[in-house]
Amino acid sequence: MIWETVRLSLRSIRRNVLRSFLTLLGIVIGVAAVIAMLTIGSGTTEKVKSDISKLGSNLLVIRSGRPAGPGGPGGLDQVVRPLGDKDLAALVAHLDGARAVSPASQKQVRVIFGTESLTSGVTGTDSAYLDARDWKLVSGRPFSDSETRSGTGACLIGETVRQQFFGAGDPEGEIIRVNRTSCKIIGLLEPKGYTGFGQDQDNVVLMPLAAYQRRIAGNRDIESIYVAADDRTPTTVLQQRVEDILRDTRRITPDRDDDFSIRDMTQIADAMASATTTMTGMLGAVAGVSLLVGGIGIMNIMLVSVTERTREIGIRLAIGAHEKHILIQFLVEATVLSLLGGIIGILIGLALAGLASVTLTIPFAPSPAVILLAVGFSALIGMVFGFFPALRGARLDPIDALRHE
Amino acid sequence: MASGAITLIGFEKVWKSYGHGEARVHALAGVDLAIRRGEFVAIMGPSGSGKSTAMNIIGCLDTPTAGTYSFEGIDAGRLDRNRRAVLRNLYVGFVFQGYNLLPRTTAAENVELPLIYRGVRARERRSLAMQALAEVGLVGREHHTPAELSGGQQQRVAIARAIVTRPTLLVADEPTGNLDTARTHEIMELLTQLNSELGLTIAMVTHEADVAGYAQRTIRFLDGHVASDTANLEMA
Repeated sequence: MIWETVRLSLRSIRRNVLRSFLTLLGIVIGVAAVIAMLTIGSGTTEKVKSDISKLGSNLLVIRSGRPAGPGGPGGLDQVVRPLGDKDLAALVAHLDGARAVSPASQKQVRVIFGTESLTSGVTGTDSAYLDARDWKLVSGRPFSDSETRSGTGACLIGETVRQQFFGAGDPEGEIIRVNRTSCKIIGLLEPKGYTGFGQDQDNVVLMPLAAYQRRIAGNRDIESIYVAADDRTPTTVLQQRVEDILRDTRRITPDRDDDFSIRDMTQIADAMASATTTMTGMLGAVAGVSLLVGGIGIMNIMLVSVTERTREIGIRLAIGAHEKHILIQFLVEATVLSLLGGIIGILIGLALAGLASVTLTIPFAPSPAVILLAVGFSALIGMVFGFFPALRGARLDPIDALRHE
Repeated sequence: MASGAITLIGFEKVWKSYGHGEARVHALAGVDLAIRRGEFVAIMGPSGSGKSTAMNIIGCLDTPTAGTYSFEGIDAGRLDRNRRAVLRNLYVGFVFQGYNLLPRTTAAENVELPLIYRGVRARERRSLAMQALAEVGLVGREHHTPAELSGGQQQRVAIARAIVTRPTLLVADEPTGNLDTARTHEIMELLTQLNSELGLTIAMVTHEADVAGYAQRTIRFLDGHVASDTANLEMA
């Protein structure tokens, strides 16, 4: 009986292919959007997590300003005291259990070579930075200590910068202009791809901190200090040591809070992942609205279908169909219709997510639960929005229905 | 058929009224009527005479406003719509002037339709439908859709659909209204044959005297009353 009804509804959908397709479009777009968003979202989350673990969970980042937390970072009661050379020197001199300690100040700056230009993330740092971030060079050499100290215009560039300016060619020894000062390329960084947020990690230029401070920042501040723990030291222990050293160096009396923050990368990872989840959820909600619109489309077309087939309903009622038979017939038809839309939408959504995973280089992470949910949800939409038209058909008076032209 | 239940259809003071107050119209105004099991009855009358209303009540599609309608000894006038649907499915077959077949659906599938609502299994349904189509002389046309069949053939499919459930009563509403003389004759011969061979009770509305002549009895309606109720001598 149900199979019979499903076959009947498929036939009636086939009879009006164009109309059925247009009706489905709302559901298709809605489901495709939801599936694409959620699949890309979970891929992004995975990517973010793996990025962070690549950064090393043993990495601490120190910034000036009060730690983020309840009440938010910083405050008007306190002028933010930036980190400086003294803080860095103290850490380098006294911190036990660190594999690398390195300063980093960063800014988006226009980089020019010949007639080409590119806006890049320019970081001022020292030779320990590569070790702290676990970055490697494909060719060339890191900054020498004298380059770091003297602030020579020497640069390490990322793959994107190389491609923009030199194509596949060897950039070493070339001179690029970074914010109106010139800078000689001494090495090429290993490509790292995009972050989970679609940020190009290869569009970077590294230069000695002193050069950065003098020529780009125009001050002696250090934005952040990276501390990588060695294999024997847990980050929590290291974090405590860093705090003690900095409080001492910065002469913070015991009755006052830290005026700097220390975060480890797992915390940052969690924050980023939760931001991704929130964004995914919001986009999902928007897609949900289009599912609602699709449902209304289904309701509309089912009302048309019931009206068109009034006579058929009359015949069926006359020869002994119950109200429930008619109700089920149209409910099944609406459900089959929206389910079909759901399945097409899932396929399109997965295709879009697949495409995005290729272009954004994030993992393709389709979730069976989400797909099942989409199937169930689209069936539900058919049932909910098909119910009123179906009921209308079922409640028809057979005599009137038979008379209907 | 020799048992006590000789009367299949009984009207007792049946009223059917529409509207309220001044605008109240009586389609049937206290009709008494009995149709015996196995009878072939023609129902005639001008439009507005109440014959269609009477037919709808006979076919359990409608219920009286007042009075009693009994069918198969059941007080069918008091049943709700779903119970009447069951009654129709079990006991009544319908043939309409406009055939009323489902379009783009084969003859066999059309005939199977009432069996679906009875919950008959697909295989048995198909064989019963084939048998009914054979009985109305449509062997070889089982898989044609209505559009591929002539008017006479379509009406035969409709008759097959009506008799496939082996009903007690066949309600025919101007079954030959859309057919030419030769086809009319064929259909009426078929109905007469079903009446005599299967003992099928037939109630048929028509406005043509020669069509009514195939029946054993003619009931004429006028202004909501039975104006005349006569046996057809030539058939008696």
